[in-house]
Amino acid sequence: MSVPRAVRRGRPELYSDYAADMALLNTPAKRAWSAAILVAAVALPLLLDRDLLGLATQVVVYALAGIGLNLIAGYAGQLSLGHAFFMGLGAYTAALLGGTGGATVRGYELDLLVWLPLAGVVPALFGWVVAPLAARVKGLYLAILTLGLLFVGEHVFKEASWLTGGSGLGRAPAEAVVLGFDLYEARVLLGREIPAEGVFYLFCLILLVVLGVLARNLARSRTGRAFAAVRDRDIAAEVMGVPLVRTKRLAFTLSSFYAGVAGALLTVLLGYTTPERWNLLLSIDFLAVVLIGGVATVTGPIAGAAFVVLMPRFIETFAGSLPFIAGTVGAPGILNVFQLQRMLFGVMIVVFLVLEPRGLFGIWIRVRNYFRAWPFSY
Amino acid sequence: MSMTLTETRPVDGAGPAVETLASRVRRFAEEDPYRVCMREKRFGIWQDITWADYWDRIELVAHALWALGVRPGDRVAVHAENRPEWLYADVGTVAIRGITMGLYPTNPAPEVAYLLQDSGSRVLIAEDQEQVDKALAVVDDCPDLEWIVYVEPRGVREYDHPKLLSWEQFLLRGREHRAQDPELLTRVALGARDEDVVTLIYTSGTTGPPKGAMLTNGNVSFAIEVLVHGGGLFDPPAGPDDVTLSYLPLCHVAERAATVWNNAGAGVTVHFAESIETVQANLKEVQPTLFFAVPRIWEKIAAGIQIRAFSASPLKKLNFRLWMAAAAWIGRERVANDGEHTWATRLVYAVGYPFLYRALRDRIGMRKVRAAGSGAAPIAPEVLQFFLGIGVPILEIYGMTENAAIATANRRGRVRLGTVGEPQPGTELRIDEATGEILTRHPGNFVGYWDKPDATAETLDAEGWLHTGDVGEWVDGTHVRIVDRLKDIIITAGGKNISPSEIENHLKTSPFVKEAVVIGDRRAYLTVLVGIELDTVADWAARRRIAYTTYRDLTERPEVLKLVQGVVAATNERFARVEQLRKFRMIPKELDHEDGELTATQKVKRSSLYAMFDHLIEDMYANRQDHAGGDLVTVHATAGYGGDGDDAAPAPTSAADTGAEG
Repeated sequence: MSVPRAVRRGRPELYSDYAADMALLNTPAKRAWSAAILVAAVALPLLLDRDLLGLATQVVVYALAGIGLNLIAGYAGQLSLGHAFFMGLGAYTAALLGGTGGATVRGYELDLLVWLPLAGVVPALFGWVVAPLAARVKGLYLAILTLGLLFVGEHVFKEASWLTGGSGLGRAPAEAVVLGFDLYEARVLLGREIPAEGVFYLFCLILLVVLGVLARNLARSRTGRAFAAVRDRDIAAEVMGVPLVRTKRLAFTLSSFYAGVAGALLTVLLGYTTPERWNLLLSIDFLAVVLIGGVATVTGPIAGAAFVVLMPRFIETFAGSLPFIAGTVGAPGILNVFQLQRMLFGVMIVVFLVLEPRGLFGIWIRVRNYFRAWPFSY
Repeated sequence: MSMTLTETRPVDGAGPAVETLASRVRRFAEEDPYRVCMREKRFGIWQDITWADYWDRIELVAHALWALGVRPGDRVAVHAENRPEWLYADVGTVAIRGITMGLYPTNPAPEVAYLLQDSGSRVLIAEDQEQVDKALAVVDDCPDLEWIVYVEPRGVREYDHPKLLSWEQFLLRGREHRAQDPELLTRVALGARDEDVVTLIYTSGTTGPPKGAMLTNGNVSFAIEVLVHGGGLFDPPAGPDDVTLSYLPLCHVAERAATVWNNAGAGVTVHFAESIETVQANLKEVQPTLFFAVPRIWEKIAAGIQIRAFSASPLKKLNFRLWMAAAAWIGRERVANDGEHTWATRLVYAVGYPFLYRALRDRIGMRKVRAAGSGAAPIAPEVLQFFLGIGVPILEIYGMTENAAIATANRRGRVRLGTVGEPQPGTELRIDEATGEILTRHPGNFVGYWDKPDATAETLDAEGWLHTGDVGEWVDGTHVRIVDRLKDIIITAGGKNISPSEIENHLKTSPFVKEAVVIGDRRAYLTVLVGIELDTVADWAARRRIAYTTYRDLTERPEVLKLVQGVVAATNERFARVEQLRKFRMIPKELDHEDGELTATQKVKRSSLYAMFDHLIEDMYANRQDHAGGDLVTVHATAGYGGDGDDAAPAPTSAADTGAEG
């Protein structure tokens, strides 16, 4: 079957097969923009210094965790405050399998190909086990239940010093080595030296793209529609034949998998981790990623992660020009930088919840629709 | 690949048989079998149909018809919306030297009966339950009708009638017959002659019962030569890279030319609109390169642009106003420059393209249109100028069923607005000195009306001149301007000859007016019956917070009457004193084909309208005010209708109430 080029070109809305109609990037404009963004993201290690690359990597890892939280909280509508716990579980699974042993902690120095998948699978299994419990409750009760999970987890992490190094001490993370190739080591690429953060950034970026596309495809599949049905009205969903417990369990499991992988990567990036890190504040950070980015989207958490990770740095950089802000703790001023960060953070969440519940993604949709409808309004 | 298509096409009449639609399609299928030749939107996507598929279906239909007993010269009727099966049936019939006859999907059962009886069709291909029901209602009155083949089985499957046959069974018979006699079509094709009648196209019948114009193979070949290859329909001529959307009724000669002849002659890729309601959406998807529409459609698209611009956000509105003002200027300049750009307009257009014109054309599905046509009815020059300004040059063409749509056309670079262009190549055209009637003579002239020798003699004289029934005049000695239908010319009591359609068309350039019928034959002055365009007036009323219930209620709102009064007054400014409209009355319903007010092509049937709304006409000439309407000073609602204690705006019931405001 052949179609002349002139007949084929320039008709982005004419679909002659379902594959093209259903493709994620179903128009030339989307394909072009996605490619441009991807190229820019890949080119970052050539452009930024170590410090900023570290931040960029953190954005990528936060985005991964945010996508995971969005699967359960956004798509399936099950508010979970236990996300930090699952991240911690993944981080310690990775550290145990891939890290080096010492006086107090154990470590098996396995390859990344072993510890990274297991860093996802172990939290996923745990999620699968506790999900039936969580599936019995919803809304505020579920939030409290997952909060309890978080506290239990934090306590266990503090006590299990063979695993975590113990309260206040912590331990080193897993070694990011794939078949002898160290992913956290400076390399020369295209005649330019890429710092260790840059190499690790690229690795995380690949994971983000792969897991992001998987999540996006999941969300528009039968499973994703089941999630949405449960979120919108659980009773109606059950009447329509969507098994509630199984659907919620799946959402928990998948979400925990993403959290575990992100947790493992985060510890590698930070280089050291204490049991106190996996607390309620971290969970709230990810709720912010989801809420600011955009509930029930995949692109949203990426934008949200960039916002949450980069905003403190922004404030730090520009705080010097504001007279009432103290640069460091104890210096003269009404507020110090860290207080301002926390306050702004709270303000942003409130602002988004009230003014733009669909987050940064919602803003993007508005902008896009404005221009899509050009020159009319509908 | 597409090169070979153009090289091998011209046929000089050599060889044993003449070119037919079937032989043209067959050649495409042999040369480039896997190229897509048409698409039909089904189940949400555009399903590809290749030339090989097309020819295969044509063969099956031809064999199936043969198996059902259809022989050369027999008629096959098609009653369907535009869809590939229409083309399979049409070309399949031609392949066995039969005669295709199309019915409008809106034809009501009595008309179906008339058309089937008159044509003596032996097989009817009906689209769906709706058309099958019409046929079954009249099947006993059509003795010649032997088979009814239905394409969509939904709802028809349960029917039990000996003459019914499903499309699948029909094709199955074709398949069996083809297996037995694979050389049939080749054999039949050898006998094909240019004199063979290939189609009956029934005229819309504004004045009497429809008459079936017989077009022969030779007529069609000449039409393909002039309209398709010669660029008579779309200039520059259509080719295999072109894309069209098929949506106007295929039983009309214009759409037959734009779809079937363009496809078989030049290999354009045809897309079938899902339905007439989805044309706008389909246009946006398909973005055709060639687009032919009747004036009504062009007016509707222009009105749609205005409506949507009204409700745009402020910045967009500002952008729209700015660049539409520029477009109006471009339109004026281009009209003055024979339809072409000057360097100044080209520059302004290029700057405005990213701001408005590109997006606007994309939204109306005209971004890729390189040639557009308007025909089948007169179009107001304002509409043409509007589209010229936004970069869609519409070439008005003139023709009729009886001359295979070949008479005159505007050509690129020689456009005269208000005219229908210059005579087509190979066309002799003269204007009768006595009556002003346009006469044409060329190989596309039809051979007569089916079974109506008297009517044929009236239309086609001994010297081969076709009397078109249209009054025309020469403009600059090269272009032809159509004054009106000969029968429609109004002669006032004062003895003045007036062309109502010019006045009506000017009224219809208002987005709020859908129908306008000027009255005044043997009367002291002119009046008009006006029907509003529901979409635009409803939108207009909503923005002014005018409450209404039904179409009639909206029509008779005093604000709407004033709106119409304004349109009438604006039209009067353009015409001489004797052509001024003095009064108007509102048509209280939307005109409809099934109620006998419009023809199948949506043309007003004047005679039946005069009879139906006689009371409105008498209301005006007897100086009464019983029905909603007005004159140039006041408006009034229907006596005893409206003004039902509505607190916002009690409808005035007498002229005196509104006189002061008006």
